[in-house]
Amino acid sequence: MTRLREALKGMADEMPAPASTVDLAELALANHQRNRRRITVATTFFATVAIVGVMTAGVTLTGARQVAQEPATKTVPDLPAGSVGALSLAYPTDCKQVREPKPGIDCSEAEWQVVTRVGKTYRVPQALTHTVKDRRVPVALSRDGRMFAYYSRQAQTYVVRDMEAGTEVTSPVKVGEERIDIGSMLVVSDDGRYLAFDPREGSKQPGLLIDVRTGKTVSLNGEYEAIGIKDGLVEMVRYRKTDLWLMPVKGGGKPVRFDGTYIMFSELAPDRRTVAAVEFDELRRNKLTLLDAKTGRMLRKVPVRGVPAKAGLVGVRIWSSASEVVLDYQVGVRLRSYGLNVGTGRLRHLADYPDVGFKQAALPGSW
Amino acid sequence: MDRHEGFREFVLARQQALRQTAYLLVGDTHLAEDLLQSVLMKVAGHWHKLARGGNPEAYTRKALVNQYISWRRRSQPEVPSADPPEHGVSYDEAALDRIVLRRALAKLTRKQRAVIVLRFWEDLTEAQTAEALGCSIGNVKSQTHHALARLRTLAPELSADFQEVAK
Repeated sequence: MTRLREALKGMADEMPAPASTVDLAELALANHQRNRRRITVATTFFATVAIVGVMTAGVTLTGARQVAQEPATKTVPDLPAGSVGALSLAYPTDCKQVREPKPGIDCSEAEWQVVTRVGKTYRVPQALTHTVKDRRVPVALSRDGRMFAYYSRQAQTYVVRDMEAGTEVTSPVKVGEERIDIGSMLVVSDDGRYLAFDPREGSKQPGLLIDVRTGKTVSLNGEYEAIGIKDGLVEMVRYRKTDLWLMPVKGGGKPVRFDGTYIMFSELAPDRRTVAAVEFDELRRNKLTLLDAKTGRMLRKVPVRGVPAKAGLVGVRIWSSASEVVLDYQVGVRLRSYGLNVGTGRLRHLADYPDVGFKQAALPGSW
Repeated sequence: MDRHEGFREFVLARQQALRQTAYLLVGDTHLAEDLLQSVLMKVAGHWHKLARGGNPEAYTRKALVNQYISWRRRSQPEVPSADPPEHGVSYDEAALDRIVLRRALAKLTRKQRAVIVLRFWEDLTEAQTAEALGCSIGNVKSQTHHALARLRTLAPELSADFQEVAK
């Protein structure tokens, strides 16, 4: 059996066996009969009532995905004008399970919510979560959480909001909603001036670097993914080789090639030379590699100590100091951040994030 | 005998396999349960026909795939990067493959993902896959080619394996 088949089997085995208390056949029969009664017996008025009843009963009976909680839109205030302070997290709210007109998931009412560093949550209904073609729309937080970039359907382009100053800048360059495709990516610079947009991760479609002050754009090589903008350099990675290209925001520069397959790149360290990444074969060994971004040379390996039990590394992010890089782990259903001292290999717990489920949470400097 | 007895037996015998297929299609336990439940509801409605010489399993599989593809506003709750390992902090190779594959599958179109699941998990032939998807064999070949090409891009570390599969 091939690795693909083995991996599919492994994934399939993650599906837990049905609980002994749940009889799938009886549930299906009950829902089917309830549905038939609704269609054949009810008057228009009662049919309307029955639909609501069936929806509610169906969800309760199946014990499956919960319908998105109403309070998300009723109790969370809108992002006010003015300053609210830097953000620690942005996440999209749940889509809704619907039974009519066809059973499925409706994301038309999903919205982005942001959490400030002091723990206040706000709705940002003007930030689009899904395109008309149902593609997920990313947002981006700058490394310090001060800048929040989102897509505005009304403006048909990206908007950068300074959360400290409360000001907004709309990109003078329009980006049609239809350009946002599967796995679209977005990163924003610390000063909010530059946005890098990749229409489709993993494709060769060129990306776009936008200077939102001047409207000037630079096309980004589609074979690379832009993962950060810092100190006037766009950090771009091509995974197959692996190549790293620190491209000046005006364009130019050239990539360096690393000997090996690396994933989960950090931003450029404060020494403007080092990046941390995970060598693909070493992900299971909790080992980080420091690489020279100028020569492509491997500098050294850092064995990570003190990894929490049942934790999976999901990203290597920003440098909090010259000796500490931030790692994000998924522990159960929650996301936790740790600072890794690259000298000692020790982890320092930095933050726990609210349980916002398996969604596209955006963290400062994440991509 | 209860007229639904056959349906109950069918569900009892096949539920875990159907749940796993649903899970591979949507990548989320709860959504998979929703998908399967909505499909079984339809199967229950057609059982009297299926019991008279139909092929309940093929019908259910086809309904599962079609329902999955037609969920126009499906959320994608899969974590785009990784899942926690099942065995504490150490990743074995298989766990790593699953993480990479899950991430890559999440970026395929619904039809491409369905083709991968039907061809390489259900082990259906191209003709059976075409029947399940309601398309031509040529379309299945083309979708498989594109899906594997995309997986090669998204999961280059496994590309040798995909090339092997594509042969």
